[in-house]
Amino acid sequence: MLSTTTYAMNNSPSYGKYYYGGLYSLLSFILTVIVLYYVLTGRGERIDIGWFLSETSPYMWASLGVGIAVSLSVVGAALGIYTTGTSIIGGGVKAPRIKTKNLISVIFCEAVAIYGLIIAIVLSGNIESYTQSLVDTDDVIKARNWYAGYCMFGAGVTTGVVNLVCGICVGQVGSGAALSDAADPTLFVRILIVEIFGSAIGLFGLIISVLLTSKAKMGDKN
Amino acid sequence: MATEFCPVYSPFFGVMGCVSSIVFTCLGAGYGTAKSGVGITAMGVMRPDLIIRGLFPVVLAGIVGIYGLVVSVVISGGLTQNLSLFSSFVQLGSGLSVGLAGLAAGFAIGIVGDAGVRGFAQQPKLFVGMMLILIFAEVLAIYGLIVALILNTRAGSGTCE
Repeated sequence: MLSTTTYAMNNSPSYGKYYYGGLYSLLSFILTVIVLYYVLTGRGERIDIGWFLSETSPYMWASLGVGIAVSLSVVGAALGIYTTGTSIIGGGVKAPRIKTKNLISVIFCEAVAIYGLIIAIVLSGNIESYTQSLVDTDDVIKARNWYAGYCMFGAGVTTGVVNLVCGICVGQVGSGAALSDAADPTLFVRILIVEIFGSAIGLFGLIISVLLTSKAKMGDKN
Repeated sequence: MATEFCPVYSPFFGVMGCVSSIVFTCLGAGYGTAKSGVGITAMGVMRPDLIIRGLFPVVLAGIVGIYGLVVSVVISGGLTQNLSLFSSFVQLGSGLSVGLAGLAAGFAIGIVGDAGVRGFAQQPKLFVGMMLILIFAEVLAIYGLIVALILNTRAGSGTCE
């Protein structure tokens, strides 16, 4: 009896590896039950996306856009900087000459954060107040303000997510550039070309954000 | 004037189409650039003379990003405040089609580019083979672009009545 208990204590299986699978299945089960409840009891029309979109304030959408633009861009820049930075430091142990030249990769990542900052400042300058009574009576002004809110949200999400991806990409390539520079100094300029392609991705997001922001005009005027 | 077919919330879906087109293609382009870039840095240490030809997957990944940019610009040209639900959902579909196709193509270009340049460094005759496989991967994004542009030409024909 005692020997089996000792065996069980020493060789018990670990179920920790099922943590994420279990969490995911629990959440999908709860979601399925909720969806089936609404559909099967005839309450399907209460899930009204149109009601949600038209009842939420355009200030919420615009502010979310501003927040997402700067925060996700900074997250991308940080991910890139730590990837590049650790490789520069690691490679610099045996080849200290690489440390100044490879700061360019870090600056490319930082530029991603600056794009996000610029877009967030431009977007926040676009937020104007409107009179609620005017919006309640005049459909055209309400449509203009709601449209502006959605466009600013779209601009912010575009900048944020694209800069997140760009920062990670430039970080990976910069890390490789640092290590290959440590091996052979002539390689750095050629690998920099790959980093420039990566940086261009952030610029694409910036272009679309600026396009969307230019369409957004909040306020009381028609 | 808001009607049943032009509700006040319909531009949201058009904007989401514009956003998803650039965001997902840039995700694919970023992955492609990063993965093949890491391969290029690895092979460059061995064969520095082949780096310039090895930039081919990176260029293709950038082009996938440009497809998304083009569709985003076209969609955003069609956004107005009095948008019919028809137009805005068509714009959403168009953005998603190029976006997710570009995401897939970018992933393929990244993985093939990484393996391709590493093999190309050891056997330079592999360049043509790598180029052909990468072009097949790029063509996936073009399919998405074609569908997106075809959908988008229909986006202007919604009315508010």
